[in-house]
Amino acid sequence: MEDDQRGVESVSALDGLAERVTAGATITEADARLMLASHDLIAIGVMGDAVRRRLHGARTTFVRVFEIHVNAPPAGRPLHVSAGEFRIIGRPASFEAAVKAVGAASAIASGVPVTGFSLIDLQGVASESGQRLDAVCSALRSAGLAAVAEVPVDLAGDAAADAVNAARSAGLAVTRLTVHALPDARAIEPAVRARDLQLATGGFRVFAPLPRTMSVTEPSSGYDDVKQVAMARLLAANIESIQVDWALYGPKLAQVALTTGADDVDNVAAQESGALGTRRSSLEEIRGNIRAAGLEPIERNAVFECGWNGAGGGAPAE
Amino acid sequence: MSTEALADHVRNGGRLDAAGALELYLDAPTPLLGRLAGEIRRRKHPDGVVTYIIDRNVNYTNICVARCNFCAFYRPVGSAEGYVLGFDDIFRKIDETMALGGGQLLLQGGHNPDLPLEWYEDLFRSVKQRYPAFRLHALSPPEVVNLCRLSRLPVPEIIDRLVDAGLDSIPGGGAEILVDRVRKLLNCYSKATADEWLDVMRHAHRAGLRTTATMMYGTVETPEERLEHMFRLRELQDETGGFTAFIAWSYQPEHTELGGSEATGVEYLRTLATARLVLDNFDNLQASWVTQGGKVGQLSLAYGANDMGSVMIEENVVRAAGASYCMDEMEIVRNIENAGFTARRRNMHYEALGEPIFRGRQVPRTLELAVARGEDDATRPPEIGRYAARSAAEKKARQAGATE
Repeated sequence: MEDDQRGVESVSALDGLAERVTAGATITEADARLMLASHDLIAIGVMGDAVRRRLHGARTTFVRVFEIHVNAPPAGRPLHVSAGEFRIIGRPASFEAAVKAVGAASAIASGVPVTGFSLIDLQGVASESGQRLDAVCSALRSAGLAAVAEVPVDLAGDAAADAVNAARSAGLAVTRLTVHALPDARAIEPAVRARDLQLATGGFRVFAPLPRTMSVTEPSSGYDDVKQVAMARLLAANIESIQVDWALYGPKLAQVALTTGADDVDNVAAQESGALGTRRSSLEEIRGNIRAAGLEPIERNAVFECGWNGAGGGAPAE
Repeated sequence: MSTEALADHVRNGGRLDAAGALELYLDAPTPLLGRLAGEIRRRKHPDGVVTYIIDRNVNYTNICVARCNFCAFYRPVGSAEGYVLGFDDIFRKIDETMALGGGQLLLQGGHNPDLPLEWYEDLFRSVKQRYPAFRLHALSPPEVVNLCRLSRLPVPEIIDRLVDAGLDSIPGGGAEILVDRVRKLLNCYSKATADEWLDVMRHAHRAGLRTTATMMYGTVETPEERLEHMFRLRELQDETGGFTAFIAWSYQPEHTELGGSEATGVEYLRTLATARLVLDNFDNLQASWVTQGGKVGQLSLAYGANDMGSVMIEENVVRAAGASYCMDEMEIVRNIENAGFTARRRNMHYEALGEPIFRGRQVPRTLELAVARGEDDATRPPEIGRYAARSAAEKKARQAGATE
């Protein structure tokens, strides 16, 4: 695949692919590489959007997430929190620390689903505590955990499908695939792994293809991000939603991603200072951004119940 | 005309009228706008070059009597947070700029009643004396209007005197939206009406200067008024041909009197692409990474932009309103090349100067833009006393200084 070095290519390189995508065909790994090597951002975005609209129309879901660090759960429920998900972040130091954090989060969540941990970290906890993964997950389920927060596909080993099944057998939902880090901007492997893990286990609702970590001095570019989102939408067509992180990638890039393949927004702020009024609240900001992209905002919670508006999760976001 | 018919009209080199531009701006799918803008960019720049400049944004004072309600940067006369940079401060900033390969300052500031025309003339002359080849891209039209009022001289004479002292080109700041209904609502009508802004540019072009044009959108204006702004610029460009580039950016609301929220990224890309279609007599469109961030700044290259603007080195105005993005030369070039273009340094006339500086020699990375001066720095420049104070606050401050 020869690169176009001048940004002046015609759409010819992607024409055939675009026609197949429009006709509803699934793309190959070679097609995915073709997309990432091209600089025709508009053509790539149009393909991502075509599949997204075929699956979801203008519907765009989002979830407000209240993050709790595993080592520092708040003693009481903070003010002005309105969330669809209480998410425990960070790697637990031990099995006991994980159970304790879930208990603390459940105590302040007031019925809002509590999620937490990466499946990789739970495998580590199980190994370190000499327990089976399903036993660890069962204990966390009993403490109030509803779902494992993420499965980073690039870190998950060959036994990932077994681990997913073990967690699910213990009653935990395992629905979100993420990418910890991309080896390079043209890597298709995470999307391939996401597609294949879904083929092996089913049950995943979202894939977030943009990496959770990146270089400070050489962050991914806007082109890289849009291409990854569109490519993931096309390649991982067996996963319902492509997700983008509002806080990590910022409203501007995330909004553009919603027009090029993504249909779900993660990590919208759940806590308002109240000082700026409703016009500037995170809820109004996310809804306004989705509408400004010509899409329809629908709030959901951690277990994908739509129409969730933070009710039962505390005070309205004003 | 239908959207498709309008698209064909543009593809065939036709000129948009107000109704057609509005139809496309409001109703055309965003990818279609991007494709059309990209086609026009390719027509104007078939070599696939995207330019950028190494210069520094210096704000010589934040003291301002204009009181625009969208501005978070200014401080009123007499404020303890008000400052004026000394000539030596500016020389130091020029030294730092030259060390990074820069050859120009973008010099703008508040309408400070205690800085008369002579202060600017002396500053420009001393810069040129020390740095003969260094360029001054300075004083937006409202600042020129302010000098006309302070000195009671007409615009052409002010421009002649500033050029004589060393002014090289005029930045297009202070345009906001060139519709007086909007300017009155933003409390910037009195600093310069739409006609006054355009008139300064007209005189500058007649005097042989090249200038840029800007648009700050996303406050109180309607889509029709954004387009009216573009059409007024297109009309003047037809008349003079003096604009080098157009730069649009979204209003930044943090810490401003006006408040509200910022226009979104998709709105920015649509506005930029529409500007490329309407402003068919402008060669260059800049990406505003300083307001949109590096990622959407780079995406601008797919929506009609052919210039990544400046590395800036320093920025104070947008930062005061909540945006604090940073791109050094290496990052700008990386983004240009990552999008498939060839990166070239340019000067204020958008003439290519050559390969990136960092490819020829070691340049330190910059991960955060500098500010005008340190937070605790309350020094007063020594030369300020050479110029007659006009404001009561400044007179009082000088009296207090004299009795200490």
